[in-house]
Amino acid sequence: MCLVSLRFQQPSNFDANAKIKAVFLYNFTRYFEWPDKKKNGNFIVYIVGKNDNLITELKNLASKKKVGVQDIEVKSTLTFDPSVNPQIIYLLPDVSSAVKDVASKNKSKGTLVVAENNGACKSGSSINFLVIENKLKFEYSKNNAVKAGLKTNDDFKALAINVD
Amino acid sequence: MNGLRYIFKNFILVLLLSTGMNGFAQIDRLNRAQHLLQAKTPELAQPAIDSVIHHPETKDDFVSWTTRAYIYFEIYKKTDKQKLNSALRDTIISSVKKSNALKPDADYKNNNNKLLVSLSTHYYNIAKTLLQDSINDTRSAQAYNKCKELYLIVKPDTNFIARDIEYYVAVGSVYSNIFNNDNKNTKAHDIAKVAHLKVFDLQPDNIPANMNMGLMYLNQGINLVKSLDYGADISQIDAIQENIVKLAKQSEQFILKVYKKDNKNPKAVQALYYIYRLLNDSAKQEEFKNKSKELNIKLD
Repeated sequence: MCLVSLRFQQPSNFDANAKIKAVFLYNFTRYFEWPDKKKNGNFIVYIVGKNDNLITELKNLASKKKVGVQDIEVKSTLTFDPSVNPQIIYLLPDVSSAVKDVASKNKSKGTLVVAENNGACKSGSSINFLVIENKLKFEYSKNNAVKAGLKTNDDFKALAINVD
Repeated sequence: MNGLRYIFKNFILVLLLSTGMNGFAQIDRLNRAQHLLQAKTPELAQPAIDSVIHHPETKDDFVSWTTRAYIYFEIYKKTDKQKLNSALRDTIISSVKKSNALKPDADYKNNNNKLLVSLSTHYYNIAKTLLQDSINDTRSAQAYNKCKELYLIVKPDTNFIARDIEYYVAVGSVYSNIFNNDNKNTKAHDIAKVAHLKVFDLQPDNIPANMNMGLMYLNQGINLVKSLDYGADISQIDAIQENIVKLAKQSEQFILKVYKKDNKNPKAVQALYYIYRLLNDSAKQEEFKNKSKELNIKLD
């Protein structure tokens, strides 16, 4: 005689890392000032590469939050499209080889380049996600952010691993 | 003097006869009670048998006590079978114990045992109902312990380890499911944990208990992130990450035990993929992603 039919609870398939990255990205918007020309219209977060869960999270974020008075708009393509003019570009690991090219094309355009690949800040990215002791952390290159045409906040340096 | 002796002799004879007749009356009453029981009118048999077990002529006869137990059992079946506490059941048990103490013959002993086994089964069913429907672990545990207590009267050398494992896994499963659906229900978490720890004492590599514990910790970690506000600051993210790493590592310990026992267990493979994703361990995440593909397990 069996007491209860054992149906295991499903392991949750919720992608916690995608949510954490989304929360980090939203945080980043508090520490930079974009040029005036980028303070109008939507605040565009452009994801290059494949990560469906991250895109879903960012769209969810966009439906709930704003950057200042700007609505957040999420765009995504599998490869870099230079015609997109975003406030943030997030280059996923599968397009990491494009960091240098993307960073140079966005110099002085007021675009925060975020990547997720070893040495990405050396290739021109302003922020680079990395994993330390199972936790998501980020490197920061103030120099690259300045070159990208962003006004920076020194408080941000205290939160990051500085590479300059 | 002779006349007086004659009168006294007759008085004793009358006294003996009346006492004997009363004894016959009690035996007749016992027969009547048994007849009423066979006629399926136990409510009518009840006063007769209660009189029988109080009379000096019949109170020390195991037949009286077993008959009483059966009469009360028939009444109990109609009204009290699902009740955790039942005066009728208590009477049946005390009557069977009294009968057993009077050294019944094999047939009566066998009948007494059948009654106890039936009552033990009823307690088991009550334990099950209290766990699944009423979600009352305390009352369920009371019923389960009564079930064992009665069974041990019949078979004192019974080994309950397998049954205990089954019971505590059931308790753990019910309460871990409650906790997984509502992570604020810390009482459910604690009950599930205690139940699973009892299982680990008896069988450390028990698969359902390890799966349940592992999934509880994994889902708890994930739910912490789910509840994180998009506007949380970076110090909050760091604190959350500290907690989820701890929870994911606790989860990993349990799920790995399942995986080591059965490396094709789909739930374990799937859970390990999610654990390593939570731990940002891309190498192991990839390993279990490939393993999932091999086993046709659907992720995300």
